[in-house]
Amino acid sequence: MKSRIKITGNCLQITRTLDAPQERVFAAWAEPAKLQRWTGCKDATDVVCESDFREGGSFTTKMHIGGHANCDCVFSGVYQEIRKPSKIVYNVNLGPASTRVTVELFAEGAQTRMVLTQEDLPSEIIRFVEQGTLESFDKLDAALAAQGTTA
Amino acid sequence: MVNYSRSVDTVFAALADATRRGILIRLGQRGESPVTALAKPFQISLPAISRHLRVLERARLIERRRVGRTHLIRARSGPLKRAQSWLASCAAAWDYQFDALEEFLRNDKDSAPGKEHRK
Repeated sequence: MKSRIKITGNCLQITRTLDAPQERVFAAWAEPAKLQRWTGCKDATDVVCESDFREGGSFTTKMHIGGHANCDCVFSGVYQEIRKPSKIVYNVNLGPASTRVTVELFAEGAQTRMVLTQEDLPSEIIRFVEQGTLESFDKLDAALAAQGTTA
Repeated sequence: MVNYSRSVDTVFAALADATRRGILIRLGQRGESPVTALAKPFQISLPAISRHLRVLERARLIERRRVGRTHLIRARSGPLKRAQSWLASCAAAWDYQFDALEEFLRNDKDSAPGKEHRK
C-alpha cells in the first residue's frame, strides 16, 4: 500500500501524497466527469457519477461490481461542507449505515498531501451497545430517524 | 461491502426495538446475567424475552452459555471487531482508488485545473 493508514475506534484515516497540485486534486473530487474516471472498487466497471457539487447538494455513484458480488450498486450521499480547494465533507449511505467522509488537501509545493477520514456509524452503535448507556441510544434513535429507517 | 451491509441490517433491526435495547443496556450494566434477571424489569413474559434474545443472538450482539439449567447471557464485542475489519477493507479499497486517482492525475495533466465538463 502506498497510503498511510490509521484506524482508531470507528475512525479510519488514510493519507496519500499525490504528484499534482492541490487544485487539480480538488477538481478530481469535485467534477463528476473526473471523479468517475478513478472512483470505484477493484471489481467496479461502468462507473457513473452525478453530483450537485455544493453544500447540501447530493451525489449518486452507480457502478457494476463484478467478481463474486456481481451486482449493480448505487451509492448516494450529501455534501456537508465544501471549502475549495482544500476540503470536502460528505455523508454516504451504505445500505442502512451512514458513513461520513472528510477529504482534506494540503498543498506541498507541486504536490498535494491528501488526508481522508472516514467515520463509521455502525461501530458507534456497537460501542453504545458495549457501554450500554441510555443517552447513546437516544443518539442512535436520532441517527436512525434521520435516515428514515427507525421502526 | 454487500455482506457487511447485510450484517449491519441485522444489527439495526435488532436495535430497532426498545425492549431489546433495554436488554443490551442491562447487560452493559450488569455483565453476564441469567435470562430471568434480564426479564425482571420488563413487563413481558419469559417466552417474549426469549424471542427478543433470539433476535439479538442472530445479530450476534449477545451470546449465551448454559450452566446446568440456567442460561447466562452476555454482550459480544464481535460486531465491533467486524466494524473494524470493515474499516480495514475500506482502507484497502481507498488505497486502490488512490492508485487510480494517481493514474488519472498523470493522464489529466494537459487539462486546465477546475475546467468543467459540461453535458
